[in-house]
Amino acid sequence: MNVQLADAREHLLARARREGLETVGYRVVDSPLGPLWIAVGPKGVLAIHYGGEPSAAELARIVRTYGPGLLPDARRVDPVARELDQYFGGTRRRFDIAVDLTPLTEFQRRILSATARVAFGEVSTYAKVATQAGSERASRAAGQALGANPIPIVVPCHRILASDGTLGGYAGGLDAKRRLLGLERREVPAGGWPKRS
Amino acid sequence: MCEMADLLTFGALLERHEKEIFAYALRLVGDRDDADDVYQETFLAAFRAWPPPRRGQERAWLYRIATNKVIDRARRRKHLVRMSDLRLAAPERDGVSLADLAAAIKVLPEGQRAAFVLRKVEGLEYAEVAQALECSEDAARQRVAEAMKKVREAMR
Repeated sequence: MNVQLADAREHLLARARREGLETVGYRVVDSPLGPLWIAVGPKGVLAIHYGGEPSAAELARIVRTYGPGLLPDARRVDPVARELDQYFGGTRRRFDIAVDLTPLTEFQRRILSATARVAFGEVSTYAKVATQAGSERASRAAGQALGANPIPIVVPCHRILASDGTLGGYAGGLDAKRRLLGLERREVPAGGWPKRS
Repeated sequence: MCEMADLLTFGALLERHEKEIFAYALRLVGDRDDADDVYQETFLAAFRAWPPPRRGQERAWLYRIATNKVIDRARRRKHLVRMSDLRLAAPERDGVSLADLAAAIKVLPEGQRAAFVLRKVEGLEYAEVAQALECSEDAARQRVAEAMKKVREAMR
């Protein structure tokens, strides 16, 4: 983008923000796990999506909640990008940015809230998270809710493993899950920590 | 931003069309600050009037808004818009320099100038020019033909 157009866009975004036309700002951020599409709404970060653009479902979820006012706004995403940089750089163990779980179901919110309580370097299981969320028999549903976690890394679903200690699944791919766990725990066996019989 | 067939956002519209709308504004008003204003006013008007009136024709809709913004500005200022800065315009063709072309376009009446730029510089179809200028396709063809005649005469 040339300088004139970049300036014009800045002016446009400032006016759109002032008029309340911009409800959500987004930007693609580079990370050691590849590009991340990040969206920030009025209550906090709404989405961190692996890849340069959101999925249709992700976008539909945001538009249903906040309307079509999504605009490419680096300034709104900067605080999230900064904390992610610090996390990947090893200088941050806890995120301070607000997360917005409004567009999710009550069950998803409970599962993700329980997940958010698993500290840096710790791991838990789908079954434990389901129990903490008040649905002890819903570990499979907990796994699905975590697979659809719209705010990975910040809501640390990578810290949740299968009950047998294997890695389970991850929306960003198991390699990304291993790398995140490796960042926090140094050594991660290729398949996780399977329990010995 | 992803190409969503049935889920258009402000950002998708902006990222797809901002470059050409800014370039169009610059060609019509000839001044970067004024082009900046027209670009902002065009997109803000589009966001305020959301959703676009017809799916698949957002481009012509934006050109129509931008054209109206330029004409409004010219009327407010009560003088003809300038056409001195064509840095983003088409490259030199057939031995005709941009300066010659700019000078020729400068003398066109507003309606013809917009039709000429939309068709000959932006490369829009006549149907899109008609939509942008809110006139019939025949009228759009006529305006472009008239403009062409005048430009040719001016460049002899």
